[in-house]
Amino acid sequence: MSARSSHHFGSTAQLIAVCPLLAMSDTIVDALGIGIVVLIVVPLATMLLAVLRPRLSDETALAATMLTLAALVACAELLLSAWFSDLRNSLTLFVPLIVSNLIVVQHLQARHATFGATLAGSLRIAAGIAVTLLPLGIARELVGRGSLLHDAGNFPGAWAGWAETSVFRVDMGFLLAMLPPGAFIAFGLLLAARNWVAQRRS
Amino acid sequence: MGMPAKPAVTLAIVAAVLTALVALVASFTRERIASNEQAWIKQRLDALVVPATHDNEMLEDSIDVLAPDLLGSSQPVKIYRARRGGAPVAAVIQSIAPDGYRGPIELLVAIGQDGRLIGVQVIRHNETPGLGDAFESRDVHWLDRFRGRSLTDPQPQRWTVRRDGGDFDAFTGATITPRAIVKAVRNTLEYYQRNRQRIFDQAAQ
Repeated sequence: MSARSSHHFGSTAQLIAVCPLLAMSDTIVDALGIGIVVLIVVPLATMLLAVLRPRLSDETALAATMLTLAALVACAELLLSAWFSDLRNSLTLFVPLIVSNLIVVQHLQARHATFGATLAGSLRIAAGIAVTLLPLGIARELVGRGSLLHDAGNFPGAWAGWAETSVFRVDMGFLLAMLPPGAFIAFGLLLAARNWVAQRRS
Repeated sequence: MGMPAKPAVTLAIVAAVLTALVALVASFTRERIASNEQAWIKQRLDALVVPATHDNEMLEDSIDVLAPDLLGSSQPVKIYRARRGGAPVAAVIQSIAPDGYRGPIELLVAIGQDGRLIGVQVIRHNETPGLGDAFESRDVHWLDRFRGRSLTDPQPQRWTVRRDGGDFDAFTGATITPRAIVKAVRNTLEYYQRNRQRIFDQAAQ
């Protein structure tokens, strides 16, 4: 595969990898929560696999990779339930779904990159996901519920409860923003804005 | 590549190490997760049955019962019992409204010893945000209208939403959710009526 085509596959794959996480961008608190989990789990998985990979033969690499990712996500979920159970309850099955991002990130890694480069690459992708989710969370919560940081008392914790703000009162809310299609529309707008900025620069 | 057995051995070692890791984290977090769940349920039980009205620990005085027709689940559901000086005060039944708009709605239905409803809470649901979840945002007092009701109040044929000729208002924008909840509450009352003796007599599990 040429460098160019693998780069193209990369951006499409990254785009697809964001999809399951988009569902968790309906409030700022959820977006922040899943963003932090991704920021911790993805680099951790990359490091673990970078250590493991040279010791594996080609036939066992896939199975071992899947086992490792599944184990890591299972641990993340247990730790979340123990210390942030409210956040865990609102993230529901999207914590285990981080596996899908991990597989894509893993796929994007160059086979013979150095440990540092691999780690930096995964950190960049994880940060990209977290930074994408946050504006989506802000926009969707504001438009859909008219509030900011709703349920902040659950995560990060009771001390942040004061930050919950109701910006304007909504009766029914703007449903589209809260439902899954709203995530894709907001994501599309964000990509359009990014392209517009990139075009103006060049 | 060396012997054909080698990859299998590597894989087995990796699997064993990872299993040990997950088991370690699981045992390390088990107690905390269990106590989180207990605290979560206890908070809801206390909100339903005023703690001053009973002197037992409801969390520990529970039984599991199986009644798919009336309690909406093919799995056993929990009943928590409140007593004062050993005498029954109330039962809180963790029943399920199986026909919500987007899947089952899990309820806690608190019934006084006399068969009157003390309160109803929704503990888990998947209803449409902004429409079917009105009972927890737009119309937070909707569930209060069950308080004091019993199987004979209103009459059995009026135990449904207004739209179906019943006594209960639906909330704006959703019919299926309130219909499912009203039906489940009614069925739970019926279960209580039929099994009252057994609910309080059965030894705690």
